[in-house]
Amino acid sequence: MTGDSLTVGLGEVKLSRDPSDVLVAYGLGSCVGIGMYDPAAKVAGLLHAVLPEHNNGADPASSKYVDSGIKGLLNQLERMGADRKRLIVRMVGGANMLTAPGFQQTLSIGDRNVASARAVLANLNLRIRAEEVGGNVGRTMRLYVCDGRMTMRMLGGQEREI
Amino acid sequence: MAEAPVGVDEQIRVLLQVMAGEGIRKAAEGFSGMLGEELSVSHSQVVLIPLVEIPMLLGGPEAESVGIYLQVHGELGGQMMLVLPYQKAMELTDLMIGAPVGTTTHLGSLERSALAEAGNITGTFFLNTVASLTGLGARPSPPAVMVDMVGAIIDIIIAVSGSVSDHVLMISSSFLRGGREVEASFWVIPDVATLEAFVKHEAEYDRG
Repeated sequence: MTGDSLTVGLGEVKLSRDPSDVLVAYGLGSCVGIGMYDPAAKVAGLLHAVLPEHNNGADPASSKYVDSGIKGLLNQLERMGADRKRLIVRMVGGANMLTAPGFQQTLSIGDRNVASARAVLANLNLRIRAEEVGGNVGRTMRLYVCDGRMTMRMLGGQEREI
Repeated sequence: MAEAPVGVDEQIRVLLQVMAGEGIRKAAEGFSGMLGEELSVSHSQVVLIPLVEIPMLLGGPEAESVGIYLQVHGELGGQMMLVLPYQKAMELTDLMIGAPVGTTTHLGSLERSALAEAGNITGTFFLNTVASLTGLGARPSPPAVMVDMVGAIIDIIIAVSGSVSDHVLMISSSFLRGGREVEASFWVIPDVATLEAFVKHEAEYDRG
């Protein structure tokens, strides 16, 4: 199925119940993509989060941050009829793109994004079914609404299911 | 399009444009000195754009690109990045080492070193110009060269600045040597303190 690709940009969440849609987070570096799918309600959502935690003054519902973004994604899915007990959750990204010495501040963003996601998901009793995180490569994540399949592709590589 | 961040008004954009034009011109002089042959820069254009729009300007977030990244520390702070599509980066490498077009077919350690130097010279001369115009000092970090999807490269800038600014100052320029031309984007992302310093400097300058 070719489907319609819906790009999930930086700091965005997109949801769909249209089986022809494919939700795509392109070029995830230190950002994380978190996909959720309810196989009974057949609704899917994908978050493209940038930073681990929303800080003071930031919009508490912002999907730019891993913590508030996951909660926002879950709330929206539940409003569309999803049941959190059925949700299949997968995560991609969280790379450390700068491996050169002297860039400690940026080195940890990918790790912190992944750590934040794991902690928030655990608090919400959501188990991560699969993840492709860390390293120092960019990745593109796709979520096929028709069957909940999620895939990952790296630069020059083939798309493969996770 | 999102609203510009506080402090980045038209007056500051014009000031930055002057700095950018002068800084890039000085960078070209630096290149020329290094190469022993004149390398000039033309078509410098300065725009303030939302970070999220950058990938589309560079062929989409999955496009294979090269980023040469520097951080800025001192009285001025922020980030700088020279970004090119992979093919253009190989052309710039040929230009830097004085090789015929098409000589560079991959980016190994030697080629990345040449590109790092391109980022280093561009950044250093830009900062020197800003320092001479404002009296504020800054030093760049050593350059880091990355090859990946442009979306992933941009994450670095966003990870550092994303919580304070949603915009980036992009200086698009063409490097010319003989009859050859390579277009590159040079991004400057001043931090909030630096923008405030620019505002203060501009106000003092206006008061004369």
